[in-house]
Amino acid sequence: MNEYVIATGTVTNAIKGREILKRKGIFAEIERMKATEKQYGCGYSVVTRGNIKEIESLLRQANVKILKILPR
Amino acid sequence: MIYFDNAATSSPKPLCVVNAVKNALESYSANPGRSGHKASIKVAEKIYGVREKVAAFFGCESPENVVFTANCTQAINFVLKGVLTKGDHLIISNLEHNAVARPAKKLEENGVMLSIFNAFAQDLEEEIERYITPKTKMLFCLHASNVCGRVLPIEKIGRLCKKRGVLFGVDAAQSAGVLPIDMKKCGIDYLCIASHKGLFAPMGTGILIASSPINETVLEGGTGSNSISLDQGRDMPEMLESGTVNVPGIMGISAGIDFVKKRGMDSIREHEMRLCKHLCKKLYGQKGIRIIGFDENYSVPVVSFCVDGMDSNEVAALLSSKNIAVRAGLHCSPLAHKTLGTLETGTVRFAPGLLSDTRQVDRLCYVLSDIVAKKF
Repeated sequence: MNEYVIATGTVTNAIKGREILKRKGIFAEIERMKATEKQYGCGYSVVTRGNIKEIESLLRQANVKILKILPR
Repeated sequence: MIYFDNAATSSPKPLCVVNAVKNALESYSANPGRSGHKASIKVAEKIYGVREKVAAFFGCESPENVVFTANCTQAINFVLKGVLTKGDHLIISNLEHNAVARPAKKLEENGVMLSIFNAFAQDLEEEIERYITPKTKMLFCLHASNVCGRVLPIEKIGRLCKKRGVLFGVDAAQSAGVLPIDMKKCGIDYLCIASHKGLFAPMGTGILIASSPINETVLEGGTGSNSISLDQGRDMPEMLESGTVNVPGIMGISAGIDFVKKRGMDSIREHEMRLCKHLCKKLYGQKGIRIIGFDENYSVPVVSFCVDGMDSNEVAALLSSKNIAVRAGLHCSPLAHKTLGTLETGTVRFAPGLLSDTRQVDRLCYVLSDIVAKKF
């Protein structure tokens, strides 16, 4: 299954995103943004797996800020 | 010491709060929202959990709208100075603490128009309506007075503000954890909380819950994200939490909320109100002592009184010499004292707590009767 890194910026945003995905049974972990995401400033990302369109939709509906989604 | 100064801060703190702070110092001592290591993320998760708990307790849907501040005064300043600009109109009550009155005065000096409504008006809605104009941006008022305990009907006021398109901010320093507050039900846009009073958390903690936007920041600094930019950013709550948050204090807030829920907010308040009524019953008959503004139907457990012919600080000093702790003077609320007619002498304020009892109140009355009889 493909893994994705969703750059969310603040840690609060990342945790909120992770909680939303976990409640839906979707794998999600938090990590500090890496070099590939640095153009969006430092901060936190949610690492997840699964149907990325569905995941993105879930997060946006919950007003979780998404800076960028990158394949891992 | 007999402690009747719980309106200043609740004391002693419950053991669960003490333990939560100690545990935080021992086990949650990494800085949240700054690093990527497990310890930092673990603490960030704990903090988020407290945001969720606070949001649920006060009827707010979004935990990210919960901002931890140094105290309620800072929360209030963030709201007033972050939302109002020159040309806006602000309405406050005539009972406000300086936490509201001073920034309001400062804003007035900088071109914000200020009106003050009478909190004791017979028809409060009619009284407030008198002041609302097309330029009215916000009504900010206390929920309960720290001087006389008077409670304002924030649900009615919130409804009026919504009807008239006015933002509604509440200073809940004396009511959070004492009276139920549902932000959604009351139409509150900004709720400012002194967590070290009715929520039994450590001093040096406060909460702002902002369900409407705050446009400008008063404090800028590091937020742990987008560091390359010199712009503070708009992501809540980090936008208003520059610098390292008070992790032990926040864990104390969490334990304090658990404590209030377990003991029962109504149960704690009813115990303290019984003591206030017991005091009033004893003092009403006492020559030379006047109770100021207390109405058991519209009050939190705070009673102010005056001793005829004596400055309130003098009375408090004599009480202190007998190991009874009260606060006297103007309580940082000159507007309230002006309204109550006690600006000259101030008042002595009785604010019992969970561990206060009738024997202690009787002791206070006994010493007061000696003071009145000038036996000192």
